Amino acid sequence: MSLYRNYPDRSKAKLFRNGTIIGLLLLFALATIFPIYFMVISSLGDPVEAGAMSYSLWPSKISFASYKFFFDYSEYSFRWLGNSLLVAGSVMISNVVFASMAGYAFSKIKFRGRAFLFTLLLVAMMIPYQVTQVPLYILIVNTFNLQNTYTALIVPGLVTVYNIFLSKQFMSSIPKEIIESAKMEGCNQFQIYLRIILPLSKTVLAVMAILTFMDSWNTFFWPFLVTNTMDMQTIQVGLKNFRFANTTFFAPMMAGATISALPMFILFFSLQRYFLEGVTVGAVKG
Amino acid sequence: MNPTKKSFFRRRLESDNSWGYAFIAVALVVFALFTAYPVASAFIISFQDYKPLGSTFIGFDNYAETFKDALFWKSIRNTIIYTILTVPVALLLSFAVAILILPLKKWMQTSFKAVYYLPAVASGVALSVVWLWIFDPMDTGIFNKLISLFGIGNQNWLGSSSTAMFSLVFMAWLSSHGTSIIIYLAALLGIDTSYYEAADLDGATFLQKLRYIVIPCLKPTTLFLLVTGVIGSFQVFQNAYLMTGGGPDNATTMVGLLIFNNAFKYFEFGKAAAQSLLLAGLIAVVALVQFKFFGKEVEY
Amino acid sequence: MKTKSRVLASVLALGLSVTTLAACSSNNNDNGSNNAGGASNAGNAAGAKDTITALLPPVSPTYQENFDQMAKDFNAKYPNLTLKIEPASWEDMTQKLDTQVNAGSPPDIAFIGSDGISKYVQQGMLMDIKDAATPDMISDFDTAPFEYMKNGAGIYGFPAYMEAHALGGNKEFLEKAGIDYKNVQKNGWTYDEFREAIKKGVVKEGNKTSRYGFVFATAGVASKDYLGVLVKGAGMPNAFTTDNKYAYTSKNYLEVLKDIRQLIDDGSMPKELSSVDAGKRWNMFLTGQTMITGKGLATFENSANKNNEKIDANDGSAVKGSIKTDYIVLPVPSFAGQPPVTTVAVDGYVTFRGKKEPSAEHKANVVKAAYFLASGKVAATTNNDLFVANITKSGKTAAEGMTTNRNPDNVAAVGVLLSHAAPARPDIPVELGAKAIKLEDEVIVPKLQALLAGEISPEDMYDAVKKAAIDTFGEDGVVKE
Repeated sequence: MSLYRNYPDRSKAKLFRNGTIIGLLLLFALATIFPIYFMVISSLGDPVEAGAMSYSLWPSKISFASYKFFFDYSEYSFRWLGNSLLVAGSVMISNVVFASMAGYAFSKIKFRGRAFLFTLLLVAMMIPYQVTQVPLYILIVNTFNLQNTYTALIVPGLVTVYNIFLSKQFMSSIPKEIIESAKMEGCNQFQIYLRIILPLSKTVLAVMAILTFMDSWNTFFWPFLVTNTMDMQTIQVGLKNFRFANTTFFAPMMAGATISALPMFILFFSLQRYFLEGVTVGAVKG
Repeated sequence: MNPTKKSFFRRRLESDNSWGYAFIAVALVVFALFTAYPVASAFIISFQDYKPLGSTFIGFDNYAETFKDALFWKSIRNTIIYTILTVPVALLLSFAVAILILPLKKWMQTSFKAVYYLPAVASGVALSVVWLWIFDPMDTGIFNKLISLFGIGNQNWLGSSSTAMFSLVFMAWLSSHGTSIIIYLAALLGIDTSYYEAADLDGATFLQKLRYIVIPCLKPTTLFLLVTGVIGSFQVFQNAYLMTGGGPDNATTMVGLLIFNNAFKYFEFGKAAAQSLLLAGLIAVVALVQFKFFGKEVEY
Repeated sequence: MKTKSRVLASVLALGLSVTTLAACSSNNNDNGSNNAGGASNAGNAAGAKDTITALLPPVSPTYQENFDQMAKDFNAKYPNLTLKIEPASWEDMTQKLDTQVNAGSPPDIAFIGSDGISKYVQQGMLMDIKDAATPDMISDFDTAPFEYMKNGAGIYGFPAYMEAHALGGNKEFLEKAGIDYKNVQKNGWTYDEFREAIKKGVVKEGNKTSRYGFVFATAGVASKDYLGVLVKGAGMPNAFTTDNKYAYTSKNYLEVLKDIRQLIDDGSMPKELSSVDAGKRWNMFLTGQTMITGKGLATFENSANKNNEKIDANDGSAVKGSIKTDYIVLPVPSFAGQPPVTTVAVDGYVTFRGKKEPSAEHKANVVKAAYFLASGKVAATTNNDLFVANITKSGKTAAEGMTTNRNPDNVAAVGVLLSHAAPARPDIPVELGAKAIKLEDEVIVPKLQALLAGEISPEDMYDAVKKAAIDTFGEDGVVKE
């Protein structure tokens, strides 16, 4: 029983329907994946300068020289990856924990000032970061004296409004009867959150984990701003070191970009089982 | 219902207040420090002639100047056009893809999901290089090769004011849906199958199920994607800056770029803050409308 | 879990500090460089300990590799001083520096283009080293580039090099087109000579152009380089005349705009010019799709040579479809009977201050560090890497024995170009300079892109610039005719 009609297996109608769908999706997929394809094949080229780069659909030769160049270029190449892993990992975990708690409160707990506070969060999100960056920098660097520390890299992203909003929207569709009945049975809000809300929200939490990790992993400007030695840089900051005044080491940069995309792949595939099958109320009740 | 139980229940309800605050405590502290404080600073700065060594209060001058600035209005217009052209289309595309993926076999679902999500993981630098190649003005460009098959001559995609905006919009269509697809899929999986079962018993068609079950159930998600999409789109400037640098006759100059230039290039930080707040006000109005349309929470 | 407890700890710490926040922000005057005054360990015979911070981009491909060595050498020379180098990528460092400047805590030294000096002066965040720089230091530098580090009466750092913005030609094609490039290198050329020359460089197959005479990178913001390079040779070496009137309202400006359009209409330049970027035109140059390219920098000769070697090696690593090219340095033409003037980029080590007035001692230490970086061995190594001339006596001495394989004709041509380099203009008031930059970004660049794309006429653009200039500088602030 689902959104789609259940055809008997191997029926012509089903084959035709799925064939059409796959065709459409493939076409869209091709357009989407092209940049990635290009990134990977250019990383297989020689470590040449970008001005001398040639655009082609097929690699004229395959060599891993650029990967070697990437790791040889700086003694910190591995450290950059490690730093990114630490920062993105911390930010991901704290967002999953604290944003889901806040999301639950904003969607299901009735407390005074709820609407006002939530509106405040949303409005703050609408201010472009270009102007909040400088006060934030003054706060972290001049006031707290945290420049070049992991704390400075991590704390501004501990809980984002985006994630609070996301979990609020998903949790709003959890039937309130479940919560009411749990209350009747004597559960306090924390128990409800832990035993009912979290299991029911696996899907959105997995999505949030991936999106947050990815966002933090790809952040360039803030880590760039608050780090001032190479050993504290993240991979995105490190990658930019391949650009010089008038030239860019293009293939090694692409090699670095390919390497830096790997952890996100791994995360994606290790979490994807959570959003392949939906978690519904029925599943938990049963 | 027996009275002792009732008062017990009521006490619980009342204590929701403190539970609520406890749940949002960490989020609120982080927000207060790293978002609210900078925003409040920006608000104060918007009334100043900001200088690192000592600012002077100038009242509403920054706002007044902004209102008189023709380029500001042009960039607002550009930003609105860009948003209208990109956000709804990207949303529809992701919705369609998410729906279409559902009936496929598990492994196929996973592969497609991975593929659509991929561009989000690629570095922005790689992407911008590829797009410059796609929009290459010479006959070696991918787009120009494509249209030459139909006998159309070379187009100066990013360099001409008639196509520059379209080029940016097209780029957004094809590269900004990874996140939305994943979120829509998660929401689709959250729909209780019992609704479909009931609908099947009534003999509902696919389109009816879409109309009466899927779309209402996805309302909160759609609202989320719309609001965050509009916020992102209104603040966009990176693409416009990298690809066209504002474009011929400011055809693709976005407010974000203007704010950035004021804040850093011209060191008119107060003016940048004022423009940011005006922009935020505009976004807030748009968001309010969206909440009016989609915000009615669906009760089950 | 370590990560988790760290996060938790910081959350707690932050929670505690919320209350003290307001108090903190008002009494913090740290200028970002640690212990600027060097209060600790005072009384050390060799002078108090001090740390100097420097924000440096990858000036040359090997520059950042030498950071540790530089810091070590500096410390060996001045045992009480520590040079702390922050690496930054070239294109992003302005943004980092600007944020730090806005926050009132820039590094002591940053490597930037001298054209940025006036905007930081306006912010009050530059440190005038007039009293701290010794005569020995100052006399080490060539005068022309040194002037670029001045603004008003102040000196704000030391220059690293002065690079000429020239054009680059393909020797074989130049010869085929019958252009006496050696003569042009020595004596320059006028717009009309240039126009005829690049017409001859065009090669057509049917009605399709397979090789253009001239391609300049003008995509996006790069377009202002193109116009900027050309107007210098049209009697406008600066946006302001010597009596500080805005120059781009003169009739010569219109002349240049017309000529820009003419070169495209002639078919000597591609009609898609407005979206040709730096990478694209270099590719066109190497693959023989253009005879002359711009802007041309000294390192391009090196890049062309390297590609030639790869073509010889025939291992698939050369640029696809490229041909062997001998890179020839060519001057930019002059317009309307005006003398040729070369656009130069002077980059250098600029000195900043924090919120607190720097002590005389710290100032002297910063100057030592800036001078150390801008002269002698450090400068020689870097400039050699970049194929640019040394502009310090000590650098020239240190460079002896370092080899380059440059075409001697090109070296001589660059010498000629630098002999009529656009002079520095430290006398232009910073407010005027800032207005001109804004006018350029908001009016000139967008209109120029429209002109290149064939959407407006040169007269339209000229009128728009003139109107904006009068709005900005007033009727009396601009040049008439």
